[in-house]
Amino acid sequence: MSPRRRESDAVALLQGTLDLLILRTLLFGPQHGQGIARSIEQQADDTLLVDHGSLYPALQRLEARGWIEAEWGTSDNNRRARFYTLTKRGRKQLVAETRQWRRLAAAIGRILGPEEA
Amino acid sequence: MWKRRRRTVDDFSEEIQAHIALEAERLVEQGMSPEAARAAAHRTFGSVTRTRERFYESRRAIWLQQFVQDLRYALRGLRRSRAFVASTVLTLAVGMSLVTVVFAILNAYILRPFAVHDPYSLYSVVWRAQEAGGSTFRWKDYQQFLSRGDLFDGVIAETVRRVTSDGRQLSVGFVSGNYFETLGARVALGRSLAPADAPSPGGAPTVLLSHRTWTRVFDADPAILGREVHLNGQKLFVIGVMAPEFVGLDDLPRDLWAPLTMSAVLGGDDLFGTKQPRSLRVTARLRRDVTPAQAQGSLNLEPFETKVAGQLDAVRARLEQKATPGRLSREGLAVLSPVFAAFVLVLLAACANASNVMLARANARHREIGIRLSIGANRGRIIRQLLTEGLLIAMLSALAGLALAALLLRLGMFLFVVLLPPTIALRVRFVPLDFDYRVFAFACGVACVATVMFALLPALQATRLTLTDALRGQPSGALRSSTLRSILVTGQVTVSLVLLIVAVTLVRNGTAIQSTNLGFDTHDVISVRQFRDDPALVERAYRELVSDPLIDRVVVTSRNPLFGEPPGFPLQRPHGIVRGTYSFVSPEYFAFLRIPIVHGRGFSADEARQESAVAVVSASGASALWPGDDPIGKTIRLNIEPRGRRLTVAETMHELRKVGDESKYAIVVTVVGVASDAVNGFIYTGAESHFYLPTSANGSRADALMVRGRTAGSSVESIKSMLLRAHADPTVFDVLSLDEMLTLQTFPLRAASLIGTFLSVIALALSISGLYGVLVYTFSQRTQEIGIRMALGASAGAVRRLVFTQSARLASAGTALGLLVGFSVMKFLSTVITLENVSVIDPGAFAVSFVLIAAAVALASYGPARRAGRIDPSSMLRADG
Repeated sequence: MSPRRRESDAVALLQGTLDLLILRTLLFGPQHGQGIARSIEQQADDTLLVDHGSLYPALQRLEARGWIEAEWGTSDNNRRARFYTLTKRGRKQLVAETRQWRRLAAAIGRILGPEEA
Repeated sequence: MWKRRRRTVDDFSEEIQAHIALEAERLVEQGMSPEAARAAAHRTFGSVTRTRERFYESRRAIWLQQFVQDLRYALRGLRRSRAFVASTVLTLAVGMSLVTVVFAILNAYILRPFAVHDPYSLYSVVWRAQEAGGSTFRWKDYQQFLSRGDLFDGVIAETVRRVTSDGRQLSVGFVSGNYFETLGARVALGRSLAPADAPSPGGAPTVLLSHRTWTRVFDADPAILGREVHLNGQKLFVIGVMAPEFVGLDDLPRDLWAPLTMSAVLGGDDLFGTKQPRSLRVTARLRRDVTPAQAQGSLNLEPFETKVAGQLDAVRARLEQKATPGRLSREGLAVLSPVFAAFVLVLLAACANASNVMLARANARHREIGIRLSIGANRGRIIRQLLTEGLLIAMLSALAGLALAALLLRLGMFLFVVLLPPTIALRVRFVPLDFDYRVFAFACGVACVATVMFALLPALQATRLTLTDALRGQPSGALRSSTLRSILVTGQVTVSLVLLIVAVTLVRNGTAIQSTNLGFDTHDVISVRQFRDDPALVERAYRELVSDPLIDRVVVTSRNPLFGEPPGFPLQRPHGIVRGTYSFVSPEYFAFLRIPIVHGRGFSADEARQESAVAVVSASGASALWPGDDPIGKTIRLNIEPRGRRLTVAETMHELRKVGDESKYAIVVTVVGVASDAVNGFIYTGAESHFYLPTSANGSRADALMVRGRTAGSSVESIKSMLLRAHADPTVFDVLSLDEMLTLQTFPLRAASLIGTFLSVIALALSISGLYGVLVYTFSQRTQEIGIRMALGASAGAVRRLVFTQSARLASAGTALGLLVGFSVMKFLSTVITLENVSVIDPGAFAVSFVLIAAAVALASYGPARRAGRIDPSSMLRADG
């Protein structure tokens, strides 16, 4: 997958959804920044484009709010990386935000009507 | 997460590097060459710098760093414009020093607690009865409080008296033995008084000096301990010197402390005998486990008997918090707030001036600000930077203001003492007025508030620029900024006019009061009053003085004129209630004070001896009570307070309420003469309906004397030495000339005039410089226009008129507003101050203030007008705007 391809097919992330996706990704266990980005892209079948640059301010923000915690550790291929873990409060936040997002998506879906071919 | 340390920028960069490395490795695994993978990873990441910047800005310390940056920038900027800084700092410092002085005084008297251990647990014990109350107790009452160990950690007693020491009057606190032990005040030298110093009456002749006495009277002699001090002819030994911060438990500092047991030895009453006088002030330290309400409740259950209005009455003790020398009551605040307001107004005027200068500076800097805006600085950031500059100036001003305030305080204390009559001035003591952390904090607070007042508007104004305007060098806000400056000048003119009106009113009243006809001759008259309630003392003093060859004449009175409000009573008349006052005088009184008897006669020697029921009434009294009728031979019932006991305010009020005949003190007198009007109480209230009743030296009403020497200028000192023959203790008599008493009465007005004049001169100077600044600025902007006008034929005179018109227009709104505000202020004050001899709404004062303001405006416009008249049109037209 080349960066070129990403620019043509992928959809830029909606404002504010990155936080939700990060929290969701961390639900499966500690992960470092690059891993989070990769994981989001893979799970979305490369449809979503994560701007790696804006990932870090987002992580910083979530950490400041106490939703995630960070610690330096070693990655699978023996590299030093900063691993993020979901906190108890982050878990609660994830539940709340997920519910909200589902309701929003459902509402917008209803308005837009059935998908046209 | 609370103890999470702030992440460093390095830590963050490392994370990003790790990210890029991980991404590159992934791409290599997918088959890319390492270089291409690295480049791709970088590309996907986007701008590392931008990410780092966003991280950097997310840290909360950013504002602090920016503040430091701004501060550094401001310092550089200010160093470049020294003249601007100096003038602004000076202007603001003047305003700030004034409010700081007011605060320092307030702080010393009301906010700063006594320099003792845990001052907030101290309560003064007072007593309250139905219609009377007091703050002094007998020794046995004190013992009663002392036994309440269940409520108090300690109870102390003190009685304050004046004693003489080598011709010097000193205020001595006679204190119970446990006084210093209970208070825990710091000692500078030696030790303080201990219970062992008060074993039995006259037991231990020890004395403790205040720091002020030690330095002023004993030149800070390091070998003072053990030295002899002579008080009222008795020898006492110095055992210690208190630290400077402790001066006693009220707002009148003590010079010395001695054991309570020494009080009688130094000529005081016997406190411990069978007839215990009510003279002890009691202060208690509440136990930590007892609330004030609990203590109060417990004291309420235990009333004690005391004499109220001549009868035994059960009274209750009350506790009042006593942590500071004074308390600001609501009434006190109401009286003082106009004074505070005047000081704050001057600060506002100073801020307006500074604001004006800042505006001009901001306009001069619009190109710089424009460039900063255009290369991406946001408006908030620039406003913050300008405010930082303002704060720096304000802080410098606050520092200068503190120094100036210290100077002003000294000057004020000096003037205070100088304006008082010398005999009184010797008795004046101030609580320590030095600056503590509260004053510094206040100065800082003022600086912050001032910053908002003088720097915020100019900052908002300066940054309201469009880029194109800014780069063209043409501030679009120029027009609006000149409106703003006119508003500031208007405000200044208003403030100074209001202050001027107040000051001129005070000064004019002051001069009017000085020339008020008292109705009698104070010249060379010396008053002698006694501090003991002892008629025999008056008689002895009378005999000594009358027999002295240096004394011309001595008269006897129950109270001397000008010494406060004379006792009075209400008189029911058909048209309402008239307040009458009275005094008992010996027959020579009228001739002595040169008060003419206009009708009827004075008193005979017989009447004086018998204190007969006859009266001489003042002329205004006669016309108020018997209008159009001959008062001679008329009888009238007067309520006179019983001999030997002064009524308390509460008792007087009680008597005043039952008008006329029911009073138990009523006597019927026959009018035998009418004397011309004379001021008996306060010079401000003028002459009242006064009744003179007869007495003589051995009469029951004799309480005070007035003497005039045979040679002119016989001094208070010589009278004092004569009185030593009547009583060995010179402090039992109060000797003061009537002229000094008059000076004392006019003192508040003179002090107020001085302060008012001082404030209004400063405000006037501020508005002159403010107006001058605006005119110079406006016409520097209009030079081109004026050049064209002159080229088209306008004369220099016409141009000068243009400037004067402009300045008159600027000032006229302020003047109108000032007159209006001044009038409403005076109107309000006239409802509060209703004194016969004081005219609050004084048209003359308004006229004088108006003329002064007009002169100030003319003075401010003179320079700019001359400069405008000298503009050379040809050079102006050539110059490129």
